[in-house]
Amino acid sequence: MTVIKGLARAEQIYQDREKRAKELKAEGKKIAGYLCCYPPLEIMTSLGYMPIRIMGEMDEPLTEADTYLPTVMCAFYRSVLDVAMKGRYDYLDAFIGAHACDGAERVSYVWRSYLKSPCSFYLDIPHTNHAAAIEFFKKQLFYLKEELEKTAGKKATAAMIKEAVTLHNKQRSLVRQLYELNKQDPPLVSGSEMLQVMIAIMCIPPEEGNVLLEEVIEEVKGRAEGPKKKKGRILIWGSLIDNIAFTKLIEDCGLNIVIDDTAIGTRSFWIDVDETEDPFDGLAIRYLDKIVCPRTFRDTKNTRMEDLDNRFSYLKKMIKDWNVNGVYMNIIRNCDIHGYEISEVRDYFEEMGLPVLVIEQDYSTTALEPLRTRFQAFAESIN
Amino acid sequence: MGDKKKKKSSAKTLQTAREAGNFGKKILASARTAAEEGKPIAWSMVDWWLGGTIAKAMGVELCYPENYGAFCASVRRAEPYLDYAESDGIPNTTCGYARNCIGYTRRLQENNFVIPQDAPGGGMPKPLFLLACGAVCDARYKWFQSLGRYMNVPVWTLEFPQTGVAEYYLAGNKEENIKFMVQELREFVSFLEKLLGKKMDWDNLSERLDTIFKTHQLAHEVDILRKSVPSPAVNTDFWALMIPHLYLPDDPEALEFYKRVYEEVKYKVDNKIGAIPNEKYRMAFSELPPWHTLGLFDEFAEKHGIAFVIESWNYHAPSPLPESEREGITDPLELIARYSYHKFNESAPTAKKYCMDPTIFTAPYLKWVEEYKVDGLFCHPLMSCRPATYTLMHLRNLLMEKFKVPSVVVEGDIVDLRVFNEEEAHAKIDAFIETMDYYREIRRKEGFGW
Ligand code: SF4
Repeated sequence: MTVIKGLARAEQIYQDREKRAKELKAEGKKIAGYLCCYPPLEIMTSLGYMPIRIMGEMDEPLTEADTYLPTVMCAFYRSVLDVAMKGRYDYLDAFIGAHACDGAERVSYVWRSYLKSPCSFYLDIPHTNHAAAIEFFKKQLFYLKEELEKTAGKKATAAMIKEAVTLHNKQRSLVRQLYELNKQDPPLVSGSEMLQVMIAIMCIPPEEGNVLLEEVIEEVKGRAEGPKKKKGRILIWGSLIDNIAFTKLIEDCGLNIVIDDTAIGTRSFWIDVDETEDPFDGLAIRYLDKIVCPRTFRDTKNTRMEDLDNRFSYLKKMIKDWNVNGVYMNIIRNCDIHGYEISEVRDYFEEMGLPVLVIEQDYSTTALEPLRTRFQAFAESIN
Repeated sequence: MGDKKKKKSSAKTLQTAREAGNFGKKILASARTAAEEGKPIAWSMVDWWLGGTIAKAMGVELCYPENYGAFCASVRRAEPYLDYAESDGIPNTTCGYARNCIGYTRRLQENNFVIPQDAPGGGMPKPLFLLACGAVCDARYKWFQSLGRYMNVPVWTLEFPQTGVAEYYLAGNKEENIKFMVQELREFVSFLEKLLGKKMDWDNLSERLDTIFKTHQLAHEVDILRKSVPSPAVNTDFWALMIPHLYLPDDPEALEFYKRVYEEVKYKVDNKIGAIPNEKYRMAFSELPPWHTLGLFDEFAEKHGIAFVIESWNYHAPSPLPESEREGITDPLELIARYSYHKFNESAPTAKKYCMDPTIFTAPYLKWVEEYKVDGLFCHPLMSCRPATYTLMHLRNLLMEKFKVPSVVVEGDIVDLRVFNEEEAHAKIDAFIETMDYYREIRRKEGFGW
């Protein structure tokens, strides 16, 4: 029997995202589903929960969402609730909602009004990175731990959490290594492959994810047939993408996706948790302050330029290090967090001399094809 | 088109409600006068009396871009600003108040920060800083942050924790929330002291707080009086009366005014005078109104005898802060934090009783339908405001499931007239009358009290 490894294994997990969780559940393991990149995985892992990122389904027509949510809200979170109401996540032992944005917050509320898991926690996340906000967030993480402990049947000691920090930091480091391989031209990993790997490691235990990442890194390092050289080396900024139909469409139009700043991508993995004496300090700082997402407000700086650099200079670094020559700004319709940021980020990129394409899309694979001509035209505009 | 542009305001049923608009004018006029005199101005989000009161105690004059958006919409002059914001890359799906403000600010900047002659209501002067707030809605700090493209002024974001129902009951969590809010308010005071180069006037703040509590006590008592049948006041009255208690409750003039509001409403209750002549149906309204077409509700009253007896949870004063929470608190910042937190979480017991989330925008209505004997809910999903729309479908499910109270959904917008269809609203209400009759009968059979 051939063992499926590396990219092929990632693709397999990507295709059937809940399979591994359900297998493990059948073996007696507990599974915790969480929203967005803010609930600390380390807390779940340390208590023996397998964390699984809750996602929507771009391929699936919305048939249940309208009963619970208005049409004018974020299309991703409508899809999340739609598939949940159809039973996709019924197997969860714990549901961890989060105040990542208004959409995530309200969906967390609606979710747990109808879907009852043995454990359910709504994680409030402050809006700023002020010292008091970090302190408050730390306390909320402590409550999360205590609630999970009730159903985990054990207590998480500092040592157990520190061990989980080490494990997840290893994963982050492997993800960064993988992205590093895309500094080359052509990149070694296509955007679609990268997305499959990111989704796969969010749907399996971290130990297995780390093995998978090591396999993928080894495989792509030695591959002869990677992505072809294309005119465009682009960065994707903005709302998340969780379906390769979208990345494939982009890549079909003469663009290589070499790096991203999205929540199912670098935002979830870029920064390590510091190994602090009290592990909750490291967790609170990393998850509230160090994850850079427009949802967290950062105090205005003295000058406009300082303010913009304070918020976006990491993008400048990505552009330089990955030799990016175009930016696609991806906005899921009704995503306010990114919507208000468009003009400022677009200006910032344009001042670097980069062509920028902004698209508000409806989080549906059936609505993708009309975007093809826009990506083609964008590819044409890249020098 | 000409007809569409025609103002369609409500006549309102209370004399005091007809006068309340003056407070809106006062806000703008005071800000302009202060600007002329070189005093500090800030633009502030509604913050449920959290930071605005502190800024005012430091001598800062505030204007409220959300209220300005509502005003521009009510005189049907928001569209040019919406267009102007959109033409600068702001998605047309973002908040109507925000686009109105962004368009206005862009104009202001192009006019070297001299208020353009044609600004509705005389316009808002350039602020020294922007006071954003994390409560309820991301737009309320992201939009202020995005104004950095037009003017280089600092934004301060007030933290306002959002607690889930189960989490509200976790041992010690409420106190953690309050502690956090107090720490953040202290940071805000430091920010102001640095920006203004002067010290906080604590006595002034305490006086203001005292006035807020008194004004709100009256506003709350008016809400209680509105439970009477027939209803002594309706939604269109409330949406005018809310200006003094939402924006200026610390103003002695607002307190005096509210004494008159209370008297007027009390008189009507004592003499069984209904706000509308022939009250047949009692409806609740959720959540933010179509400011551009408030006259619609007068038409529903006239045509069907519909009294909108309660509405817009977000705009109401809370019940007074329980004595147990006030006792021994000497720090005004803590009192403020407790009060604002109380506003948002006082319905947690109701939410717990019905095993649902959230307290905000939803649980209060589960109490109200019984207390106000509501026959139906008017849901107003807004094309541009998600925060006040997210839970509407959830709410209508809950009202039907728990109380057999039906709802009607009429889509529209707070500001954007272009997405509102008045004829359709009428047609839906015409059809809804029968639904309300039907469920009245069901409630009677099932032993509900109304
Ligand atoms: S709550 Fe709605 S109307 Fe108010 S600022 Fe937010 S999006 Fe705009």
